Amino acid sequence: MLATYLFFGLALLAVLGALGLILFKHPMNGAMSFVVTLISLAGLYALLSAKLIFAIQLIVYAGAIMSLILFIIMFLNIQERDLPIDSNRWFYLAGGIIVVAPIAGLMIKIAKSLPEEHPELIDGFGDVKTVGHLLFTEWLLPFEIVSILLLVALVGAVVLAGKRGVN
Amino acid sequence: MSALDILIILLRVAFGAFVPLSFVAVLVWMERRGAAFFQDRAGPNRCNVYGIRAGGLIQNLADGIKLIFKEDIVPGHIQHKLYFILAPMLVFITALLCFAVIPFADVLVLGDREYVMQAVPMDVGILWFLAVVGFGVYGIILAGWSSHNKYGVLGGLRAAAQVISYEIPMGLSLVSLLAVYGTVDLSAIAQYQGQLLFGFIPAWGFVLQPLGVIIFIVAAFAETNRTPFDLAEGESEIVAGYHVEYSSMKFALFFMGEYVAMFVSSALIVTLYFGSYQIPWLSTETLVAHARPVVILLMIGLPVIAYFFAGWIKKNNRTHYYRADDPRSRETAIYVSLLWSLVVVLEVILLIYLIFAAGGAADRILVLLLQIGSFLIKTFLMCFVYVWVRWTLPRFRYDQLQKIGWEKMLPLALLNIFITGAIIVSFS
Repeated sequence: MLATYLFFGLALLAVLGALGLILFKHPMNGAMSFVVTLISLAGLYALLSAKLIFAIQLIVYAGAIMSLILFIIMFLNIQERDLPIDSNRWFYLAGGIIVVAPIAGLMIKIAKSLPEEHPELIDGFGDVKTVGHLLFTEWLLPFEIVSILLLVALVGAVVLAGKRGVN
Repeated sequence: MSALDILIILLRVAFGAFVPLSFVAVLVWMERRGAAFFQDRAGPNRCNVYGIRAGGLIQNLADGIKLIFKEDIVPGHIQHKLYFILAPMLVFITALLCFAVIPFADVLVLGDREYVMQAVPMDVGILWFLAVVGFGVYGIILAGWSSHNKYGVLGGLRAAAQVISYEIPMGLSLVSLLAVYGTVDLSAIAQYQGQLLFGFIPAWGFVLQPLGVIIFIVAAFAETNRTPFDLAEGESEIVAGYHVEYSSMKFALFFMGEYVAMFVSSALIVTLYFGSYQIPWLSTETLVAHARPVVILLMIGLPVIAYFFAGWIKKNNRTHYYRADDPRSRETAIYVSLLWSLVVVLEVILLIYLIFAAGGAADRILVLLLQIGSFLIKTFLMCFVYVWVRWTLPRFRYDQLQKIGWEKMLPLALLNIFITGAIIVSFS
């Protein structure tokens, strides 16, 4: 029963954080409420016994990426007055809802088709060893493709930074 | 859950929460006396309660009372009061949470149950540490940013940039270490270090990873924002950095957070590289099998140590000129009698153990206590290294700090991964 209450609590926090991200005017408030979402998602992963994903969610998303974003907000000292005035935001919002609606329909359909009974967890589910083994045997190709993508992004960042230094 | 289960859970959590907190007092004392020792002066030695100075520990009590009763100010120019108040809490809580996964003794076997001796028995181990350390950065960034003060923002920027940069060599030196141990679970890592290498060298991390230990310790110094990497505080240029606007207990939380972080990172260095709770050449099984001789050795050793310690107190704790009715000799007499009564109590407990309880569960608990002692002594010594370095080395310049991190430690850590990988593949 505790798990159910935890699930509802974390899910509520995740949605509230996401709402805060788009509704808060000040960038720092938006970023901090997004951190709440990311931590609640980590909690949801932990409820699913996915220990490694839980740790990685905390380290990479909540820890590294968001602290870099906060760092940039602080570094550039972005205030509310620095933000562009978007007069057509209601227009964009309506457009966004129309684009996302089919995906939401799909999600509802998937949620309805979930099986009622809980399958038994295999031994060592979500462990570092099990996930690593799967990643490097069955999912090796996608894993390598993602690594190359990250490498390209890294090289791109270095090239862009280098160009600015020359001028 | 039986009553024993609940008791052990309570004891574990209490250990995980209160030991770092009480070490704050010890570390503040060690820092002050250490600083005095390195600079050839006396250090805090005047505060007393009825003439008892406890070697300067009473000074901490005075400081604590001072900080609690200071006025708690939130400056008027601060716009984001929530973040301003949240920041010190984050710094302190994240430092404390890191300790939750560090094992302080071997798995306790009582009857048919096994108890992992960590505050939170979680097998993601070191990953939890990395995650929580990442959150500590939020506290620093928020403190610097919400202070709305040039010095605060500069200090916050420096600290955050430094912590983020040094997480990379730290993580890379961990990669090669984890390749050696083959696990991320800190309990399993500690058990691995109970083995012997070639039959006579304890297989501690610093023997297996001589380059990794240096990189990790340097990165850990930078992560805790201690000298020579403390330019986030840099009194001479940016006053006190990110905590310049804080007063009273909010400042005290930053202050205590720094020492908790120092304790936790010493505990982690000990766990990863210096054999954790392992007593060299005496594995848990050896100790349990030979519990009686160990106890007899302890019973002989304790009075000998106490004798020399009492002699040391008598030699040093006296006024070095003539003084009628010297209050310090009265103080010394109290210390010495306390020390001897402690020894007598311990001897009686050990004797009762020898006569009535030897064998079975009591042996396990005795070994547990010995291992906790070994872990705390090692951590204490590592903390002393922190103090030692702080009062020996000057502060780096900011560009030097980033150069060391990115141009020296990062390639060295990568090189270490390649060498470690080659050795593991060729010898296994």
